[in-house]
Amino acid sequence: MSLTNPLPSSNKNTVSNQSRRQFLKNSGIATGGLVLGISLPQKTIAGIKMGEDSTFNPNAFVHIADNGDTLLYCGRCEMGQGISTALPAAVADELDADWTRVSIKQGEGNEEKYGPQATGGSASIRTMYIPMREAGAAAKVMLVAAAAKVWGVSSEQCVADNHFVINKNNQQKLGYGELASLAADQPVPDSVTLKEKKDYKYIGKDLARHNQGDIVVGRLTYGVDTKMPGLKYAAITHCPVMGGKLKSVDKTQAMKVKGVIDVVEIPRFEVPFGSLGGVAVVADNTWTAQQALKKLKIEWDLGEHQSYDTKAYKAHLVKNVENPAQLAAERGDINKAFAEAEHVVKATYTGGHLSHSPMEPNASVVWVQKDSCEVWAATQSPGDIQKVLAQYLKREPKDIMVNVTMAGGAFGRKFKCDYVHEAAVLSQAVNAPVQLTWSREEDMRTGYYHSISAQHIEASLDKEGNVTGWLHRAAFPAIASLFNPSLDRAPANNLGDVDNHPFGIANYRSETGEAKAHTRIGWYRAVYAIFYGFAFGSAADELAHASKTDTVSLLNNIYDNNKNPEQAEQVARSKAALAMAAKKCNWDNRGALPSNQGLGIAVHFSFNSYVAMAVRVEVNGDDIKVLEVDAIVDCGQVLNTDSATAQMEGAVVMGMSLSLRTEVVFRDGAVVNSNFHNYPVLRINEMPQVNVYFMENDYKPTGLGEPGLGPFAPALANAVFAASGKRYRDLPFKPMPM
Amino acid sequence: MSQSIKINDKSYPIDVDGEMPLLWFLRDRLELTGTKFGCGMGLCGACTVHIDGQATRSCVMPVSAAAGKTITTIEGLSENADHPLQKAWIANKVPQCGYCQAGQIMNAASFLATNKKPSSEDIDNAMQGNICRCGTYQRIKQAVVDAADEMYKEA
Repeated sequence: MSLTNPLPSSNKNTVSNQSRRQFLKNSGIATGGLVLGISLPQKTIAGIKMGEDSTFNPNAFVHIADNGDTLLYCGRCEMGQGISTALPAAVADELDADWTRVSIKQGEGNEEKYGPQATGGSASIRTMYIPMREAGAAAKVMLVAAAAKVWGVSSEQCVADNHFVINKNNQQKLGYGELASLAADQPVPDSVTLKEKKDYKYIGKDLARHNQGDIVVGRLTYGVDTKMPGLKYAAITHCPVMGGKLKSVDKTQAMKVKGVIDVVEIPRFEVPFGSLGGVAVVADNTWTAQQALKKLKIEWDLGEHQSYDTKAYKAHLVKNVENPAQLAAERGDINKAFAEAEHVVKATYTGGHLSHSPMEPNASVVWVQKDSCEVWAATQSPGDIQKVLAQYLKREPKDIMVNVTMAGGAFGRKFKCDYVHEAAVLSQAVNAPVQLTWSREEDMRTGYYHSISAQHIEASLDKEGNVTGWLHRAAFPAIASLFNPSLDRAPANNLGDVDNHPFGIANYRSETGEAKAHTRIGWYRAVYAIFYGFAFGSAADELAHASKTDTVSLLNNIYDNNKNPEQAEQVARSKAALAMAAKKCNWDNRGALPSNQGLGIAVHFSFNSYVAMAVRVEVNGDDIKVLEVDAIVDCGQVLNTDSATAQMEGAVVMGMSLSLRTEVVFRDGAVVNSNFHNYPVLRINEMPQVNVYFMENDYKPTGLGEPGLGPFAPALANAVFAASGKRYRDLPFKPMPM
Repeated sequence: MSQSIKINDKSYPIDVDGEMPLLWFLRDRLELTGTKFGCGMGLCGACTVHIDGQATRSCVMPVSAAAGKTITTIEGLSENADHPLQKAWIANKVPQCGYCQAGQIMNAASFLATNKKPSSEDIDNAMQGNICRCGTYQRIKQAVVDAADEMYKEA
């Protein structure tokens, strides 16, 4: 099967051969050769539009220099997920390029040029895979046509292979470098034929990430690493309570510290992703700025959220989900199902706020000058930096130049550019480039937290063990509260992943309970899949226990009861992943495990991918030791088995942190946690064996940055129950006393 | 007369407040940015360097306390990126974001200098001060084992 994609048309992907002059002007590339751009329609993520429509948005640049060096641009942001290897590898595969001749450059912030750059929602591969391949294929067609012209033969008589075009008649070869400039004069093809799976050279292979050589010698530069002449350094402290204001600051002692340049008040900038408001010190090095910051005497007017207390708030959410709430969606007759039930199982599940805590704290350099503004930042969304700084500086977004650095982890945090906005304020204040580096404490106390949540499920079983009714009430402060602070609960569409979960339940009702936000809420890796996955996966296990069957059989039964033809694929893929997990973990033989061990299983569909996990634990008293995890992934065609595997390993590690211990606690409106001693993320000594398997199929590729988290926590809770009979319904299971 | 400090075989005068942690002397004064800031409290290990061969958290070590000593940072660990740990890190494709990895490698290098055949438990004990939020621990463990094998293989 070969995929033929007609190009171009108004709403299809379009390939364009940029005139060299135009490209040089746009990108500053100084060598000749072939330059090719490709555009694709605008995409949306999480309901937010990520860019403006325009007719030509090339977002995959192929640049082959006259010496054959091939430069591929990655417009999406790299934070460790491996996108800057996976996408260029897809281009290189269709291009039949020699990977050793390829170098990769992170695209600067320019959505006109690269298309949407906001990197989240596990969407990069899902949306970019075909356009990237088309760019490579189109460039190859032009190289082949150039060679055919040189030899006076037809393109059909030539074949591309590993950076050469070969004349099939006589085996003559011309290198891509020799052909590049000639290829630039060839017409851009109207359509390209993409490779068949059997011919993939890089797609689906175990390709090392392109930057690991730089990482192991400390040469890769991150957001915190930008240096330039005249650079000043800053440290900041924020109002501990969202919405509070600065009452007074005594700068006297701080200004006396040698090396301090200025103390700057930063008012809250009330646009999404603007600064929460704080006071910063600018100095000639970061440490001096941090020391002087401690000498400030600050009084805050804490404002309306100063009594926020997560312990009380969680209890409030539980009450709200254990009582009738606002209807979100309904089908069938749930009251009838409950009235006729053999059993009704009821359970309430909760989860705490989470801090992303990437190892690299928020950091950026901004230099605001009279007629320019340049940014160097680790970011997931350079377009948002342009928008926020444009609003703040009253300039055009295109006039904000954003250099995207490697991000030392992000997990959703670096989607929001408050730290970049603050550096811009400081740069203006001291009229110099300023590097603002948040302390770990500020990162933990001034976040955009994963929602604290409560979910209540009531599910009915009939005599045959079929699940006949499902009531799902959720209450959590919504991400949408960032944009609309008056929201008093999660909007009904935030329950879409519940309503559309591929369980086959005829009588169903979902409700959203009151949950006003008292802090900033933000996307955190896997977002709703963390708590929805936990509720679905745990409830399935509880239902299995109540109906005296096993979890795999019960899940299969629920999926089989889904007669919605639109969900047939979801059902089949969920079941297949589950079956593979059961096989790999030896589910049917779990009775043979030692008495203090248990096996738990769960499967979750999120971000268009399917992941099943089987977790084996040993429980001794209160001590939970995770021994082994089998992760079964169905993300369609895998682009890069190495980074896909790494995403699952990472999901297990993050899943263990949030399941077992980490939780952001608020008291008197402010975060109590401050650093890794009281936000105890997983360390190496608790690392279990993780085995990752991929389902072999021809579905189109979907992303994996997030989908590993959904099934982990419930599989773990189910395993602990199997081992000990203790059911954990609250994340984290064993919070640290604060 | 200012004190001096030897870093990656080069001598530098300590021309800052002696209380400044070595981390910030490296990063902001010398612009050796391979050593990372992670927590500022010696809790995460991202800032690990060697002082006279011993893994040390540079974020809590005043630069004056390192005066006269020999410092090695990730930039100076090997001439050609060929320390067995660096090679093992690449062979095992350890890094994800890579931010913590300089600290991980420096910590492992100091540990392997004295432990020729580390057990799984030895590695856990030696490496648990270094946090990786991306979750590369499984590969770190394998890379440490491989590097130990490479360093101490019998001739």
